[in-house]
Amino acid sequence: MTAISNPSARRINHAAGALTALNVLVAIFWAFPIYWVLVTTLKPEQDIVRPGIDLWPDRLTFDAYTYVLFNTQIGQWYLNSLVTAGSVTFAVVLMSAAAGYAISLLEFPGRKLLWWLILASFMVPIPALIVNHFVLMSQIKLLNTWAGVILPQLLAPVTVMIYKQFFDSVPKEFREAAVMDGATQMQLLFRLYLPMNWGITTALAIITFIGAWNQFLWPFLAVTTQDKMNVTVGITQVTDAFGVKYARDLASAVLAGLPVALVYLIFQRRVTQAIMLTVGIQG
Amino acid sequence: MASVELQNISKVFGGLRVIDNLNLTVPDGSFTALLGPSGCGKSALLRMIAGLEQISEGRALIGGVDITNEEPARRKVAMVFQSYALYPHLTVEENVCFSLSLAGMPKAAQKERAAGVAKMLQLESLMARRPAQLSGGQRQRVAIGRALARNPEVFLFDEPLSNLDAMLRVQMRLELTKLHKDLKTTMIYVTHDQVEAMTLADQIVVLEKGKIQQVGSPWQLYNQPANRFVASFIGSLGMNFLPARATPSGQGATVALGDSTRIDLPLRMTAAQPVELGIRPEHLHLVAAGTGDIAGKALLVEYLGNTSYAYIESAFGQVIVEADGSESLETGPPWG
Repeated sequence: MTAISNPSARRINHAAGALTALNVLVAIFWAFPIYWVLVTTLKPEQDIVRPGIDLWPDRLTFDAYTYVLFNTQIGQWYLNSLVTAGSVTFAVVLMSAAAGYAISLLEFPGRKLLWWLILASFMVPIPALIVNHFVLMSQIKLLNTWAGVILPQLLAPVTVMIYKQFFDSVPKEFREAAVMDGATQMQLLFRLYLPMNWGITTALAIITFIGAWNQFLWPFLAVTTQDKMNVTVGITQVTDAFGVKYARDLASAVLAGLPVALVYLIFQRRVTQAIMLTVGIQG
Repeated sequence: MASVELQNISKVFGGLRVIDNLNLTVPDGSFTALLGPSGCGKSALLRMIAGLEQISEGRALIGGVDITNEEPARRKVAMVFQSYALYPHLTVEENVCFSLSLAGMPKAAQKERAAGVAKMLQLESLMARRPAQLSGGQRQRVAIGRALARNPEVFLFDEPLSNLDAMLRVQMRLELTKLHKDLKTTMIYVTHDQVEAMTLADQIVVLEKGKIQQVGSPWQLYNQPANRFVASFIGSLGMNFLPARATPSGQGATVALGDSTRIDLPLRMTAAQPVELGIRPEHLHLVAAGTGDIAGKALLVEYLGNTSYAYIESAFGQVIVEADGSESLETGPPWG
């Protein structure tokens, strides 16, 4: 062991220590609301409205969770979210990969125009289209159905752009070798280009799933009955005729966000990669 | 096995004619090298045979069958790329079997074919690995194995050794020669490296600016070059070209180099004219000053172990002389 005797090295060491302490403080500041939500869900309702700040519950109870799980349609809402978010993810990834492949590698009339249209559609904010979507879904009688929730969410120009960018960067020799081996366009996409860019596909699938699961505005407008609601919309139904029940409301929010949090924790690295890809494209 | 015939082939890229009215026959079972400097059109020619580039004019035949507009996969050719183009997400075995799997061959038959290829190219211990886990030489062998698995009538090689180091290149040259000897399949090999072409091929096609300059055996190209380009391109240092004057004499001509040197050559000519005399560096010898035909001073000496190259500044311009490596040569003193 050698002691640090150099004054400038010691100064750097102190600065690093101060920065770490600041980091920890900011992290506590950021995480406190989440902690507060979790702690609140574990308190009896009377303790929550008691004056003063209890950082740790005097009495631990899972009443709020059992109420939400057994007295609401949260199971159905989970299923609705799972089906719609899963379908959106599957369709978006599949269509974006196919579109990205076509624009990147196929020669056909109108290819450039199509590319410009996709770029242009990226510049239109989704909320600006929401009335048109509502009218369209209403006209084709898809309101209050899974299909009605799914279809307007399939507009994903960013994923098309990311796929195109990655397919552009694959050396042409791979494609030529596969063409000489007798591969068709479908085989090229599904047996060569997608597996070679598998990391991108999983990253995009995860971030699309998280986005679709967290969707609120469109499912809120497109669905009118509880049995067709997504979990994000369903939790707004956890109300009580005799005032606000903080523990129940927050427990339903925790249960709604739990699957996404788990997905994020399991696939952390891929999610970060996907965000960087998306930002790279947007920037 | 099949011959390859190219009849009046042209290739135009955006108005630029990179191959112009080219005719070539690659005999059945031959190892033909397409040799030329960068941009001479040799790769374009190979890619047209492969079907990766459309033929602008003319037609191509493989085994007597017109394949000008045929799909690449139906031409019965297999190609080894410069970058190997091994599918990175597949194992060596899956790479070798890729074309067979696309063709719908049963798994057992695929495995059997892969095992045969692996045995021939000593890939048995590598079959479960992915390309990233292989060395350059191993990748090259897998790329050849993938081509071999298709059982093609013609093999196409696009500068396959250019990414390997010198030692490995020599080793792979020997392996390719052995492979051709064993398979006796027609092979067309693109290279800009004349050593590769000379050592591997039984027929060399020298190309420049999209035109064939000469077709012949390595011996013919070296000893009987058809024109100045071939003479300067073939040979490690190319040929020395010295200004001279030729006059008809008897059955041939006498070429005068300066005032004192006269060389009789079997040339047919009717009148005296200025010519260029081409002499390879290894056909010149360094002699003591005042005793030779060309006088000059050595500007630079390159020592290569068994041999040395002396760059002599003479009255005829720069002359390169190949000397015995055992001689100790120095720059400065006069020779010849």
